[in-house]
Amino acid sequence: MTVFAADALRLDETRLATRRSTLPARLSRALWIAPIMLALSVTTLYPTIFLLALAFSKSTLGRPFRGFVGMKHFAITLQDPLFLSAIGRSVAYALSTSLLQLALGFVIALLFSSLLKAGRFLMSLVLLPLMTPPVMVGVAWKLILAPAGGLLNGTLIKYGVISEPISFLGHPSLAWLAIAVADLWQWTPFIVILCFAALSTIPEGVHEAALVDGANAWQRFRHITLPLVAAPLSSIYLLKLILSFKLFDLVYILTFGGPGFATTSAGFSIYRRAIEQFDVGRAAAETIVYGLVIGLATLPVVRLHQHFERREA
Amino acid sequence: MRLGTRHLWLAMATAPIVGFFALPILYLLAVSFKTKDDVLSGHFWPTVPTFANWPGAFEAADIDGFIFNSVAVSVFAGLLTIALTLPSSYAVLRLKIGGKWLADVALSSYMAPPIVALIPLFFLLKATGLLNTRAGLILVYGFANVPVAFWLLTPFLRRMPIEIEHAAAMDGAGPFRTLLQIVAPVIAPGIVATLIIVTVLSYNEFLFASAFTFSDATRTLPVGISLFQDDRLVNFGQMAAASLAGISPVYLIALFMQRYLVSGLAHGGVK
Repeated sequence: MTVFAADALRLDETRLATRRSTLPARLSRALWIAPIMLALSVTTLYPTIFLLALAFSKSTLGRPFRGFVGMKHFAITLQDPLFLSAIGRSVAYALSTSLLQLALGFVIALLFSSLLKAGRFLMSLVLLPLMTPPVMVGVAWKLILAPAGGLLNGTLIKYGVISEPISFLGHPSLAWLAIAVADLWQWTPFIVILCFAALSTIPEGVHEAALVDGANAWQRFRHITLPLVAAPLSSIYLLKLILSFKLFDLVYILTFGGPGFATTSAGFSIYRRAIEQFDVGRAAAETIVYGLVIGLATLPVVRLHQHFERREA
Repeated sequence: MRLGTRHLWLAMATAPIVGFFALPILYLLAVSFKTKDDVLSGHFWPTVPTFANWPGAFEAADIDGFIFNSVAVSVFAGLLTIALTLPSSYAVLRLKIGGKWLADVALSSYMAPPIVALIPLFFLLKATGLLNTRAGLILVYGFANVPVAFWLLTPFLRRMPIEIEHAAAMDGAGPFRTLLQIVAPVIAPGIVATLIIVTVLSYNEFLFASAFTFSDATRTLPVGISLFQDDRLVNFGQMAAASLAGISPVYLIALFMQRYLVSGLAHGGVK
């Protein structure tokens, strides 16, 4: 599944060159890719195998691998309503906020690209949210949303919209909204930059030809711009989706998963199980389940991307 | 005249967008100059600005130590990532070693959430005695960012004209010399962009840092700030000052390197 997804993100292909070669030549060729193989082994291959082993054993953070427990951890995980709802929230959050940010980022990129020189200046300005450490993004939004003296409550009271301060982070759906707004602030600029790049690949002549044919602005957008950027847009969506499934820092700083478990994402839930409760066996099973769910959830987007690619070819 | 109204419309549409993206940072700046009472006022700007929060933050927590750890860890990790990725990506893309599957595996591994590697890397660091050390974090970040660096370097390597390598081969240069003396200078903008991006990713990282460090001597800034806000007697003015102090190195890089950054991100993202 992930290999298909990699296909969608990849730029074009390299072919395996089959050559007959001597042993020293082979060794020196292998040496070239040894660094990346080492990095991938440490950060991907080893964690995957280790997680599988942990998931099937009785393990704590202090003492791992204390006996085989079979499918026990998976059975518990799949019957745990708290974890299943955390997964549900993570998937719903990723799919919806990524779509919203894609739409918003695309509109802003369209606006910036019509501003020409000023648009380029604005691009370097919107780079700043993207570069801001997520923990600090959380702190800034926490100050804005604070019930006592926060900017938003202060402003709403000043203009008489509300009379009592609202605890935005203490209310289940408002807390999610707060996380989504902070996320949107941080990541929409990235989407703007990518959409701007996708828009700038459209040749000038295409629009001029359509103008000559008497197409109006909406027709030019709908029948020329949109089809030409459909494939890049689907890969930008996929990229943002992957980033959204990693949601952790903002939850940690803004809500710590609360109120109750209302904003506990799957990643945050796994982190607490492993680092706070030391139950790494169960956390490993949860990670594997979450990984499979991400694969399943991104598959339709990967298929959509392949569809656009084929249509373009 | 028509052009004038069009520009007015565009400016009116742009202003709230720019305002929204500037707001949190400006508010952090404003709060960092507010007294404790002023913080509770709900106004945007401080009524009477105080300069006590900035030195206060550095006294209340080891902010300069955290910033030092963050800078040291992220710079060495960034250099490690480039050292690992440049030869391998050159080999895969130009020398056709490893082939398509390696590029696919590198990209797929980027898709897995970092939580997957959290527990296994914890045990690996513990077994090697690198838990709660800066060296451990450097190795984790240096390795973990290899797929991103691969993905960012790919378009630069791919667009490079083949004639450059042919000319090098004619001069009798081996592949490694060709990479260092001829290819690297040609794709230098891509290498710089990649280096900055992976360094900033390490500087900003929180999940691994919070699980793999647990003393002030090794903590990075995001972890330090997160502890700051756990404090019951949290002083918002000091927290804002500490946060801005931590953000400033990244913004300085963004300011001076924006040309590289925008092109690096834009090329990597879409075809």
